[in-house]
Amino acid sequence: MNTIMRKSLLALAIGAGMTSLSAQAEITIGLAGPVTGPVAQYGDMQFIGAEMAIERINAQGGVNGEMLKGVKYDDACEPKQAVAVANQIVNDGVQFVVGHLCSSATQPASDIYAEEGILMITPASTSPTITEAGYETVFRTIGRDDAQGPVAGRFIAEHIKPENMAIIHDKQQYGEGVATAVRDTVEEAGIDVAVFEGITAGQQNYSSLVSKLKRENVDFVYYGGYHPELGLILRQAKELGFDAQFMGPEGVGNPDISKIAGEASEGLLVTLPQAFETDPKNADLVAAFEAKNQDPSGPFVMPAYTAVYLMAEGMKATESTDPFEVAEYLHQNTSDTPIGEVKYDESGDLEEFNFVVYNWHADGTKTKAETGEAQSDTAQ
Amino acid sequence: MEASLYFLQQVINGLTIGSTYALIAIGYTMVYGIIGMINFAHGEIYMISTYVVFIVIAGLSMLGIDSTAFLIVAALLVAIVVASAHAFAVERVAYRPVRGSKRLIALISAIGMSIFLQNYILLAQGSRDKAIPSLLPGGWQFGGDGFAVNLSYMQVIIFVVTLVSMTVLALFISRSRLGRACRACSQDRGMANLLGINTDLVISMTFVIGAALAAVAGLLLGMYYGVVNPYIGFLAGLKAFTAAVLGGIGSIPGAVLGGLILGVAEALTGAYLSTEYNDVVSFGLLILILLFRPWGILGKPEVEKI
Repeated sequence: MNTIMRKSLLALAIGAGMTSLSAQAEITIGLAGPVTGPVAQYGDMQFIGAEMAIERINAQGGVNGEMLKGVKYDDACEPKQAVAVANQIVNDGVQFVVGHLCSSATQPASDIYAEEGILMITPASTSPTITEAGYETVFRTIGRDDAQGPVAGRFIAEHIKPENMAIIHDKQQYGEGVATAVRDTVEEAGIDVAVFEGITAGQQNYSSLVSKLKRENVDFVYYGGYHPELGLILRQAKELGFDAQFMGPEGVGNPDISKIAGEASEGLLVTLPQAFETDPKNADLVAAFEAKNQDPSGPFVMPAYTAVYLMAEGMKATESTDPFEVAEYLHQNTSDTPIGEVKYDESGDLEEFNFVVYNWHADGTKTKAETGEAQSDTAQ
Repeated sequence: MEASLYFLQQVINGLTIGSTYALIAIGYTMVYGIIGMINFAHGEIYMISTYVVFIVIAGLSMLGIDSTAFLIVAALLVAIVVASAHAFAVERVAYRPVRGSKRLIALISAIGMSIFLQNYILLAQGSRDKAIPSLLPGGWQFGGDGFAVNLSYMQVIIFVVTLVSMTVLALFISRSRLGRACRACSQDRGMANLLGINTDLVISMTFVIGAALAAVAGLLLGMYYGVVNPYIGFLAGLKAFTAAVLGGIGSIPGAVLGGLILGVAEALTGAYLSTEYNDVVSFGLLILILLFRPWGILGKPEVEKI
């Protein structure tokens, strides 16, 4: 008797649950990126951007009468965990993903999404190989390393002209990729790279490396990787009396680098996506972020906003939530978004995306590097 | 001249790295010497101490105290207390209940404890790097012609403190009453118990002493690197464990020697080969030692008792 009671109650509960699910029609968008781990603050940039877009779209009545809902998934920037997350997303029946963040995490996850017909837009992964696989449903709202690397490389060749240059990277897909692109560009311009070396991310002692650079009389160091390691390198360089000019990609452009390196971060050169938050067209959006006490200036905030925006636009235009139809729409149409006019080529890369060189300051702010307009570039 | 100055600089760098491995390695080696178990949670105790040091220094600075000496002493004392409390609790909760059973069970319990501690700090403190400014910047510079050798105050302090800690600990083990009890426990715990030594207390004290040294390492490395995150304990623990095995696990001078050798080997690899091969060299050394001298440089070959 008791078990029958329990079973029928259970059935009732399940039934009620199912009706409540179908009653509130929602389109779930998976937000995949690091919630934990050493680069979690980049994940935050991505999440606040995407959540803002979801909120604003819902405030205007959602998409085709349905509301958007963002669900966060934590990959901790680890390839292994990214695969687990991707499988979880598949099992949850989610068909749209904004993410992942780290290229080495996005790469394996994108294979799974492509196989399962899930539409993925990464607002942060810059490694070229992600879109080179030629998946129909994989896009990005950021430039590629082979666009960013040359911007940095040309800036070095035209304005720095180092006598003795070193390139250091963290042996990860993103860091090594952008470092290699920089090396190729500067070598083409006739600059010799004296040292090209990898380090182990997560280590704390770089004194041996710094002493070596000092001995080689290196006057310029390009670092491909993220800010925790570069922060320590800068700090230890100062301690060991090594005062070369440093430069890094957008993965080091984070106020935390100033906390770690202190004074040593003054004058660091960083290539970042151009500052979309200063575009007058986005004033309204910037005000919305500021009203929520969020910082819209992080390099991945606007790209993440745009990723959701593009998905919504595709769904509205095709009046469907079929990832393939939306992908087809994105491939064929041009949209006006906070990061400018978005037009995709066949592989899912942006036809145009600008990286700009900035000077980083010890108080965590940045200013455009003084050399004028010659530094921006167009992705292929 | 330039080449030898460069070599000297790299040896200094190596001795600094090595000293830090050594301080943590002592904790591994003491616990192994007495209960024959590898305490994998030891690296996490070091990580927790570094957090405590940062919190104390940041908190006291906020209250307007800017005497460096006072900050350091206060941070060290609080870190020692908190680290010892953690180590004591870890031993009670995770190791004592499984002490009589197979070695593998204790090992798994230790790994579980390590994961728990890491995630507990992750939840409490977040995953972002926390940083403090250098408390003791500066140092000496000499050489000059072509290449100047830099020796920072912190590097000297780290090296000296390591040697002093090792000496004090070695004297404590060989001279004091509790030290004698430790040695007795390490030789034959059952017999020591029969002779009236409180072996449970001795084992608890071993964990506490190891944790106090980890707290010293947390203070020194926290001040030297200025950065902490919940993951530093894992890599530091792994390297320190390698150092302990290299020097002969169970031997305190061995742990220090192993740490220094490992540190210098890494620095020289970075100097003349490539930083990429650091880990290859350190773990290669470990494999060589395990193949040809499994009891380590200063350890004693284990005689199977019948």
